[in-house]
Amino acid sequence: MTKIKSKFSQNPIRSWCIHQSLDYPWRTIIISLLVTLLVGSGVKFFLIDDDMMKILPKNLESRISWEAIQDEFGSTEVIFIAFGNEGESIFNPEAIATLWDLTEALETGKQIEELNSIATATRMDNLDGFMEVDDLQPERNLSQEEINDLKEYLDKNTVVKKRFVSEDDQYFLITVQPYNSEGLNLFRDELVAIADPILAGYEVHYGGQAYVTGTMPAMIRDDVQDLMKVGILIMVMVLLLNLRSVPGVAMVFMVIGLSLFAMIGAMGWIYQLTGSDRFLFTLANTSMPIILLTIANSDGVHVVSKFFRELRAKHEVRLALGSTMDSLLVPIFLTSVTTIAAFATMTLSPLEPLFGYGITIGIGIAWAWFLSSLMLPAVISLKKWNLKSKAITELSIFEKVINKLGKIVLTHPKYVFSAGAIIVLIGLFGISKVVVDVNMSKFFKPGTEIRDTMDFMDEKMAGTVDIRVRVMGDMKNPQTLSSMRTLQKKMEENEKVTTSFSIANVVEQMHRTVMDDNPKYETIPDNREKVNNLFTVYSMSGDLDDFSSIVDYDYKTGLITAFSKVMSTDEIFAYVEKMNGHVKTTMDRNLIVDFTGMIVILRDLVIMIVRSSAISIIFSLIVIGIIASIFFKRILWGMLAVIPLTSAVIINFGFMGYFGIELSHITAILSSIIIGVGVDFAVHYIAQFRRLSRIIDANKLSREVVDDVGYPIILDAASNMGFGALLLSAFVPIQYIGGLTVFAMVSTSIGTLTVLSALAELLKQRLIERNV
Amino acid sequence: MKKFIFFSIFGSMVFAQTGLEIAKMVDERPTPKDMFSKTKMILTNSKGQSRTNVMISKSMDGNKKQIIWFLEPKDDKGVSFLKIEHSDQDDEMRMWLPAFKKIRRISSKRRGDSFMSSDLSYEDLSSRDLTKNEYSRIDDEMFDGKDCYVLKVTPKKEAKSSYSKHLSWIEKSSLMAVKEESYDKRGELKKNKAYTYKKLKEYFVMERIFVEDIQKNHTTEVTFLDLQVDTGIDYNLFHEKNLKRIPKM
Repeated sequence: MTKIKSKFSQNPIRSWCIHQSLDYPWRTIIISLLVTLLVGSGVKFFLIDDDMMKILPKNLESRISWEAIQDEFGSTEVIFIAFGNEGESIFNPEAIATLWDLTEALETGKQIEELNSIATATRMDNLDGFMEVDDLQPERNLSQEEINDLKEYLDKNTVVKKRFVSEDDQYFLITVQPYNSEGLNLFRDELVAIADPILAGYEVHYGGQAYVTGTMPAMIRDDVQDLMKVGILIMVMVLLLNLRSVPGVAMVFMVIGLSLFAMIGAMGWIYQLTGSDRFLFTLANTSMPIILLTIANSDGVHVVSKFFRELRAKHEVRLALGSTMDSLLVPIFLTSVTTIAAFATMTLSPLEPLFGYGITIGIGIAWAWFLSSLMLPAVISLKKWNLKSKAITELSIFEKVINKLGKIVLTHPKYVFSAGAIIVLIGLFGISKVVVDVNMSKFFKPGTEIRDTMDFMDEKMAGTVDIRVRVMGDMKNPQTLSSMRTLQKKMEENEKVTTSFSIANVVEQMHRTVMDDNPKYETIPDNREKVNNLFTVYSMSGDLDDFSSIVDYDYKTGLITAFSKVMSTDEIFAYVEKMNGHVKTTMDRNLIVDFTGMIVILRDLVIMIVRSSAISIIFSLIVIGIIASIFFKRILWGMLAVIPLTSAVIINFGFMGYFGIELSHITAILSSIIIGVGVDFAVHYIAQFRRLSRIIDANKLSREVVDDVGYPIILDAASNMGFGALLLSAFVPIQYIGGLTVFAMVSTSIGTLTVLSALAELLKQRLIERNV
Repeated sequence: MKKFIFFSIFGSMVFAQTGLEIAKMVDERPTPKDMFSKTKMILTNSKGQSRTNVMISKSMDGNKKQIIWFLEPKDDKGVSFLKIEHSDQDDEMRMWLPAFKKIRRISSKRRGDSFMSSDLSYEDLSSRDLTKNEYSRIDDEMFDGKDCYVLKVTPKKEAKSSYSKHLSWIEKSSLMAVKEESYDKRGELKKNKAYTYKKLKEYFVMERIFVEDIQKNHTTEVTFLDLQVDTGIDYNLFHEKNLKRIPKM
């Protein structure tokens, strides 16, 4: 122990770490594995959930309204099933019988609370003075004459028709409601398992928020898992090509694998212990494993490549390893601390899952630091290394590249810095072009099943975006009902809003029926008693429970539901603003009117994303700057540490603007990837600059630093190019994550080795003087 | 009203051992010629919110003719309902709507629909056709201190029932159903029904029904007050002109 201490470090913590790894390797490895196993065992509690509502803060106004609606009227997250055949009228006996069979089969589903189709709907007729409430489809087999009568009724009642039949009469639509909005994947699976065999022979389309939500987690999981395999394969190839050592690459992957396992386990444990939805793995968390993979890879690559360099110079494993640990323990610790701090700023995000994201990835990063600092050297020390192997004796491809890059940068630092500054300036202008959009349809590539269904529903049906308006007031008061109808008409003025319905429509229809089916009376009656009589007559003839999805038990709250074709986020903003304006200026002030539904929730999501990104970026940069200033004992170092990051963030968002990549709740997370990864490169560079400035001549300093840290930085960045495989994903946000991760790697690594090194070279006299 | 529900259960004496024979005897049980009651119906939802309806009901011919006048809630006061059942055609139902000053004929063909938003559907309120259901007897049980036959009633397809089966507890001494469980088409328990009776003249007549819809967590309590039987109600009462005037109690 004494020998180790005196040889490598006077710092007691560093020397203790070196001592533990090199003198007690088995103990270090076993303890590391046991702790990993303990933390990782939480994987059994790890839960994937893609309920978009769980992303939003609980005090969000539209979420409160939405939850109140769910509570009062049942789940609004429905699945639409459309079936038919292009070019054929759906009004035929076979299709009607199939609809009946499907409805009956779905009604037996354990996850299914209610469904609406022609087979479950009622009709109100006035027959020879009778007000008759009857089933729209009274039995399975109808004659063509009966079907024509049914069609005639629907043509007369277009509000009803739009809910059940496509505009071209070629498809029937069934709306299925789950018991609750949790476990939508089970709901979706059950529904599809029931419907598919019955609808064989028909063109079938499934749609709706519940279907997307129920389908997406598994699809994304499968997609990312498949592509990650390709990505990891590429990573292995790049590492093997450069490290030229299978055990060396395996050791890097050991750090990656164990830290990922610990992070997922930690997330499971925290969810189990706190029960907080913030620790569910949502769509917003998709990038977490990728980010940790890059960070753990970075830690591992730095240690292994440095060890090989030291072994090449010292020809003795123990000495090389001790020297590696002595020079890397501090920078790896510092990169971990700064990255954890950067991600910790996510806890300030108003988006719920980002809180859990920040905490959990922090645990993963901390564990990657521990494993690469103590366990990895211990494992390396146990291996018998062949000192004559190419991995040890010869420079790798990237080392040669770095030599050339170093020459260029350090020969012309001003030009390099100016070129970097120009690129950043170009990026800065692009930021103003960034468009915020959380349009769900854009999450899927054209040609994918979900995107095609969404397009189909938009084209043929009433659309899949729902707008819910909760109106609190006396639902039997004619003035309230009239106000609701006026609001509905205003809502339908937008060409994308195809239909709306509420209890006011039902009252109008009942009024007309009671008044001998005279269209003149398809209006709201002029007094409350009449409205009440209509409900009473319906209760005797039909079932008031038919209205449970549009009016509450006490007739004090009504729900207007409108369907819209997909809107862009800008359109959503303008639409909700306009509707709120109408409510304020024309509706009775005693009525409380809340707009919610996916369309409004998405609007709120956008506001939060922008706020969240801005907070995350600003706080991360400040925190990293402060930490770097403290550790490197100079504010100038703190500033230099954030320069490559800031440049990369600006370039990233700027290029998003130029290339039309929308800022969504998925892509917003990319700023964290850049910061998380970029800070590592900068810190490694600065740490080595400071360390070597004490022992190397100023003229050779930058060159030595670039040689020393340039290789692992480039190797780390290049090995992460494997994430380019995500560009092949069926999910557009995952493509963006893949593409932008690659971009982040390139921009931050090159930024560090050009802009930062050029700046350090330009400022080296000031930087060295203070260090000595 | 009371009779209306009364027939939904069974109606006769039981001595035989098979399920069908027990059902037949329940069905053949003597019933009053006419009946008068003030009926109170309290509906309570899962949140504990309640609605109370009070009405006057007169019926005759084993409930084939029935007239109901609504007293409460205030919004419904004055609304009245007349029902005349026909064996060979759809039931005739009329309502007086005072706000419209119109009598309207109504019709419901949906047997599973709730009656007045209660947990009792028209199917629950209708007498069960012995030929459209299968009856099997299972082990006798004690219920609430009463020795009961237990019948499993399975509706046949032609019954167009919204249920898959019922389990009925029939008190041996009175041959009146005291409890029934109804299962939905998925085979899951949908409703629990409990009945209490009293003896008027030579008849057992229902004085309270309590129904709980397990799935909706909604309950209905129907209480028959001021029960009178065989009062000699005039046949001409069951005419739409009598809907417009609430009788004095």
